[in-house]
Amino acid sequence: MKTPPGIREADFRRAMSEFERVIGAEWTFSSDADLDLYRDAYSPLKGQPGELLAAAALAPDSTEKVQQIVRIANRYGIPLYPISTGRNLGYGGAAPAYSGSVVLDLKRMNRILEVNERNAYALVEPGVSYFDLYNHIRERGLKLWIDCPDPGWGSVLGNAIDRGGGYTMAQYRNHFDAHCGMEVVLPDGELLRTGMGAIPNATTWQQYKSGCGPLLDGIFSQSNFGIVTKMGFWLMPEPEAYLRCTISVPRYQDLTPLVDTLNYLENARIVTGFPDIATPLLAYPPVGQVQLWNETGPPSLAPEHQALLREAKLGYSSQLEAYGMRTGIPYWQLWVSYYGPMEVIEAQWQATQRHFRRIEGASFREVDRLQLPIETDQAFAHHEPEFGVPSLRAFSIGARSPWNPTPSHGHMWFSPIIPRTGEAIIEANRVFGEAARELDMPLFQSFTMPACFWERAFIFILATPVTEDAATNKHYLDGFRKLIEVGGSHGWGEYRTAPVFQKAVMDVYSFNNHALMRLHETLKDAIDPKGILSPGRYDIWPKHLRGGRR
Amino acid sequence: MKRSFWSQAVCAALLALACAGAVRSAEPANDTGRAVYERWCSHCHDPGLHHPGTNALTVKYKGVKPGVIREWTDLTPELVRFWVRNGISVMPPFRKTEITDTQLTALAQYLSPQSVEPSR
Repeated sequence: MKTPPGIREADFRRAMSEFERVIGAEWTFSSDADLDLYRDAYSPLKGQPGELLAAAALAPDSTEKVQQIVRIANRYGIPLYPISTGRNLGYGGAAPAYSGSVVLDLKRMNRILEVNERNAYALVEPGVSYFDLYNHIRERGLKLWIDCPDPGWGSVLGNAIDRGGGYTMAQYRNHFDAHCGMEVVLPDGELLRTGMGAIPNATTWQQYKSGCGPLLDGIFSQSNFGIVTKMGFWLMPEPEAYLRCTISVPRYQDLTPLVDTLNYLENARIVTGFPDIATPLLAYPPVGQVQLWNETGPPSLAPEHQALLREAKLGYSSQLEAYGMRTGIPYWQLWVSYYGPMEVIEAQWQATQRHFRRIEGASFREVDRLQLPIETDQAFAHHEPEFGVPSLRAFSIGARSPWNPTPSHGHMWFSPIIPRTGEAIIEANRVFGEAARELDMPLFQSFTMPACFWERAFIFILATPVTEDAATNKHYLDGFRKLIEVGGSHGWGEYRTAPVFQKAVMDVYSFNNHALMRLHETLKDAIDPKGILSPGRYDIWPKHLRGGRR
Repeated sequence: MKRSFWSQAVCAALLALACAGAVRSAEPANDTGRAVYERWCSHCHDPGLHHPGTNALTVKYKGVKPGVIREWTDLTPELVRFWVRNGISVMPPFRKTEITDTQLTALAQYLSPQSVEPSR
């Protein structure tokens, strides 16, 4: 039997017996075969020393059982690592941050406790996936949309507390910001509710976020201060219509006014859907077409175009720009979309064009005009998450295809936040392009565009492949850590990362001698003095595992 | 050690393939198996371009086998169990909180041609 570090086998056996009495033998896992299912399928350390492994796994089906488990773990000092659906692939999966932890698998807590159409919200448990919530709403004919990330089997709650994003309107696609109210089991087994939920028999728990007094919800995201067992979310009322359009501009220098104008229009709520910037001339697709390119192959380029691309520096050469002007291939292409009554969104599109006409040579195209609702199958003809439709199409990334004869075994997401400006796109390409070449990391072709998941910043997201070869993975792992440092030296940090990179990422957030991390540790010591909850998650360690640092 | 586990598992699966004819479903209409397939497998393995599992298998088998696993004629329950619990390429394994052993047995029977149901 595997045991958590520092725990005597006899004590662990006793604790496991007590866990088993709470949840039953069927949901208490300790065999090697069962624990293999809790390894990170995309780990770059798979089968290598340092791979993060569970000592056991427990799968309760209620908050009360979570509380009982936490109290037992506290008595024995056993580290627990809660997961929701365990599908955080590319960011750590189901494996614990501290090897030898007992994974608390909350997948069986899969109740959709409420979906309220009048006030457009849902209250869910951790095991509820985007597919579950989508199907629940469809089956009942409710006029509500969810906002989902690419893989639909992820946890609505888990993705939010890992601060994931989606593809509809800005206020919904930031999943943590779209939440309203939490229920949390603290490391001593105590139960609390945040916001209005702190009032017994609250009637507005999912309608008003902050309640009164300090707003603490944030400390339960990307952290190890509590186990979130319920969470409310604001949902989007089903829009009447959808319009998707492109704005194309011809010159390299047009990128800066393109982004600035987009920022104004989105922040002013004139452009309401997911903005997506592509560069046809540099052959980089909008995020919304990455899956389509994986499925049907990238567009073919003329030999002259290919040759000019090879010669371009930071995506630019005057010859390439002239080629684009001659052939009508835009340097940059912004995809915008709108949700709402057709007469409203047509007016928003008109206003959008008026603002972009300030860029000389800007051209406009209407791509999709749809009366909603549409059937699920129809959404796949577009980019289905922009219609709140979950899928698993994103697994085309790295999967075998005619254009990818050598499939990967997963990927690690490198995803620094950079400013939402045209200059930052160029600078990130320069900085990370040079670093990737120096580190021999297969991240760049010619030029990379960031994603617009968040309203006010870009994510410069890059997939680092995981292979079957341990030496290659080690090379990429080291390179990834170096890229984090390089980003940090330019004032950029990751928005989220896998446990193997959490120390490197959190080290970047070091203002005033790591004042923020020192506060995290102060909180950890106060809330979880025995350090039983997710030790090491986001590099927040309990005192006895901190090694005297800071 | 891991390699040895894989080799054993693959051998077991191949052995099972050789003995495939011996397994038969007792259920005339395997509703559980179908439901598990629809919930966990269909999103990647149904027919059509938007299903990365189907696309990957189409390229891998180059016409020797269909890309759609429900059309395979040599899929055994043991192979289904093996891939579900071990994963392959970008497909991760599935935990017992997602697909229980009982559900996996039903899925394995549903996907195996020797336990075929008329409307599969």
